[in-house]
Amino acid sequence: MKVKIILILISALAMGVLLSGCATGLTPSSWPGVVSDGKVAYVASATAVYAVDMQNGNELWRFPAKADAKKTFFAAPVLTPDGQLIVGGYDHVLYSLDPQNGNIKWQYSEARDRWIGSVLVANDLIYAPNADYNLYAFNLSGAFQWKFAAHEAIWSAPITDGQRVYFGAFDRTVYALDAHSGQLAWKKPLEDAVLSSPVLTSDGKLYIATFGGNVFALDTASGNQIWQFSTGNFVWSSPVVKDGQLYIGDSSGTFYALDAATGRQVWRQQPNSPIFGTPLATSDHILFGSEAGDLYALDAKGQNAWKVSINGKLYGAPVAAGDLILVAPVEGQSLLIALDQAGVQKWSFTPAKK
Amino acid sequence: MWETFIVTPLTNVLLWIYKLFGGQFGLAIIVFTILIRLVTHPLMASQIKSTAKMQELQNSKKWQEIQKKYKDNKEQLAQEQMKIYKEMGISPLGSCLPTLIQIPIIFGLYQSIMLALAASPLQLLTLTRSVYPLFNAPALLPLNSHFLWMNLGQVPEKIFLPFLSTSIPNLTLPIIVAATTYIQSKLTMPPSANPQDQSAAMGKMMAIYMPFLLGYFSLTFANGLSVYFIISNLVGILQYALLGKVDWRNLLPGGKKGVEKKK
Repeated sequence: MKVKIILILISALAMGVLLSGCATGLTPSSWPGVVSDGKVAYVASATAVYAVDMQNGNELWRFPAKADAKKTFFAAPVLTPDGQLIVGGYDHVLYSLDPQNGNIKWQYSEARDRWIGSVLVANDLIYAPNADYNLYAFNLSGAFQWKFAAHEAIWSAPITDGQRVYFGAFDRTVYALDAHSGQLAWKKPLEDAVLSSPVLTSDGKLYIATFGGNVFALDTASGNQIWQFSTGNFVWSSPVVKDGQLYIGDSSGTFYALDAATGRQVWRQQPNSPIFGTPLATSDHILFGSEAGDLYALDAKGQNAWKVSINGKLYGAPVAAGDLILVAPVEGQSLLIALDQAGVQKWSFTPAKK
Repeated sequence: MWETFIVTPLTNVLLWIYKLFGGQFGLAIIVFTILIRLVTHPLMASQIKSTAKMQELQNSKKWQEIQKKYKDNKEQLAQEQMKIYKEMGISPLGSCLPTLIQIPIIFGLYQSIMLALAASPLQLLTLTRSVYPLFNAPALLPLNSHFLWMNLGQVPEKIFLPFLSTSIPNLTLPIIVAATTYIQSKLTMPPSANPQDQSAAMGKMMAIYMPFLLGYFSLTFANGLSVYFIISNLVGILQYALLGKVDWRNLLPGGKKGVEKKK
């Protein structure tokens, strides 16, 4: 009988171990988030936030210094005007770090879910979206000011025109709040969930893409729809507007240029694999990455200026950093790669194991 | 292979039920668990029969005699036991096979729940690629993971205790899981008059260990798995009751003694 009991206990332990192994939901994963002030690049990726010297790609510091499996970071950190680096973790904690050394200045631990989207710093406030359905507002000292509850998770950064703050949520709604008090100004129900951030233009238009593949132009004053364009596929990225054209890619691998005034398709290109990252508009080109690891640079007419193949998958947005362009591939040899405006690699950063 | 034949189909069944029940993932898990229990009901009925036969056999004179006769010759004892199994048409695996079949279902279900709830961008990307074309995935995803007070894709949330200035996990679900597991074990434990009955002793042991083990699992893993455990336990009690195999007196203090007195 003892043997049988031991067998039962071993089976139970094996079950626990196997369940732990398949508990993918408890091992959150995403693609790295990147920001740079031109001198230092900050990369949130898995168990650390890295500060990388933009001159040579050397690591300056990392937070936390010693990896802790419970602390993971993927939302792009954000720099504040008064010298803070704000980054949210999947451990439900929002951190303010010293950009010089990675020391914690303050932290907020009362959120009930992950900080998946980046924060917005404006109007002397930090607007922080959380997967616990709330958009939180803090002052720059980290003191809680207010929060607004959507009906489902918020995964993307809000945007503001100074008067109102706009964001989309999984509850298939775009919200416009008073930027100072957090009071609801209007909300616009959409057909599908919103995973990406909206974009504002100076003529009072708000552009937003839904997961279901629709791109909307809304009136910022009322939330009324101006136009709608359907890609017919999943859309993860935020749109980018430059010189009257809106650019966005979809999961079928099609990259669109739309007339920002009317929503009419100007041109489209179909490279070789799905596009998930937000495009980057530089002075000369529109850049976007594909799942196959190719970074494309197109001109305003959709002509291919250059293409460079990166080792890994490009899910995130390319980031402008001074004269350089940063990309952070997933499952690649390097965590961060710096390219010049012609797509030539200048340096790469691979974190040393600690 | 595992993903294609187990996790993806289970996930799509879950999504179908989710759609059917107006976007309530908690309800989808409940209905799915009941379906799994119904599908495996014939196995469970045969398990109960096998267990009863096995107990009858172990209480028989013939069985006890060969235990004594070959107590120093394990090999011969095993051969004699196999002979009796054959004579009585009992499969020694018959009582544990249904339980073993449930284990891959639990793994598959857990992975399906985690995949369907997609709590991070890469998981959501994987999910979009697992959904069968018959669903309008963009309209269906992402799923609403909220049910009653809990997020089904998360471990039990923490409760802040001001008097201790610390947080502890919300133990509501683990306690319900442990309690229903204990109640199910007690109610479905077959009576045994033989003090040497190994399976009865093992049943008692399991009734003590399993509630703790499953309670620990529900504390450590996503709430969706706890919902599965609770519904599975409740439906299990109902199934035993319908088969007339529930002994409600086992729940009463000293219930066993009552049974023995009657005998």
